[in-house]
Amino acid sequence: MKFVWRILDLIAGGIFIYAGVLKVLDPVRFGLDIDNYKTLPWLISVRLAFYLPWLEIFCGVALVFRFLYRGGLSILAALILVFIGATVAARMRGLDITCGCFGHASQHWSFPQHLALDLSIFVALAALLLRELKWGAINDSKN
Amino acid sequence: MLALACLPAIGEGIYFRDKVSWQSSIPASELVTVDQAKAWGEGAIWVDARPDDEFARDHVPGAFSVNEDRWNELLPQFLPNWSPDKKVVVYCGAESCNAAREVAKRLRDEAQLQNVFVLDGGWEGWAKKSR
Repeated sequence: MKFVWRILDLIAGGIFIYAGVLKVLDPVRFGLDIDNYKTLPWLISVRLAFYLPWLEIFCGVALVFRFLYRGGLSILAALILVFIGATVAARMRGLDITCGCFGHASQHWSFPQHLALDLSIFVALAALLLRELKWGAINDSKN
Repeated sequence: MLALACLPAIGEGIYFRDKVSWQSSIPASELVTVDQAKAWGEGAIWVDARPDDEFARDHVPGAFSVNEDRWNELLPQFLPNWSPDKKVVVYCGAESCNAAREVAKRLRDEAQLQNVFVLDGGWEGWAKKSR
């Protein structure tokens, strides 16, 4: 079973590393994608466009190498939750948004496709986090 | 981890400092000030990207209404007035609005127009300088 959890770590980490690298290569495009949500001023969107991809990469690496593991998992789970909320809110406001999560590869994804992927990732991260917290509690009680 | 990600982000920001428009999502080369646009005189065509009701209330004299709500209807009415030697100045309500950027982009991409600019400060900027 431990092997399955490890595979899930690698898949989730790999997804965020891949998504982060795509955005690092074109921060201006990602800035415009954030701007399309019409929730933040450009001044903040453009700065986030430089920061968030690196955060994704570092957290993804944390999952792959199990270094600062809980922190990485928590940040990624929070990021994906915020992203799901922003996507749903944008949809409710009638905005036709490009999420930009995977660069141009995701440009033509439909809203249900975006949501299905985001929710799947969130469920995987939440499962990993719960398992980690449970194991941490067991180990603490043993010590 | 949150702080660590700042380091490469700052480095990348420095690397891209000249390629990014930090103050506005519109590159400086696509922006035009009210004074510049006015100086073009007859060489400029004004496009109002605001909704119909705002255009009806007031607009730049001679401006054409081309908004995204009625794009398919308004664009064909506007196109016969365009010529390659003219500069198109698109504006929306204020500096913070996005409609002008979107309409300018569609005029370039879909209508294949050249020399399309977004008015810095939008309608508010124009009204301040003109009254």
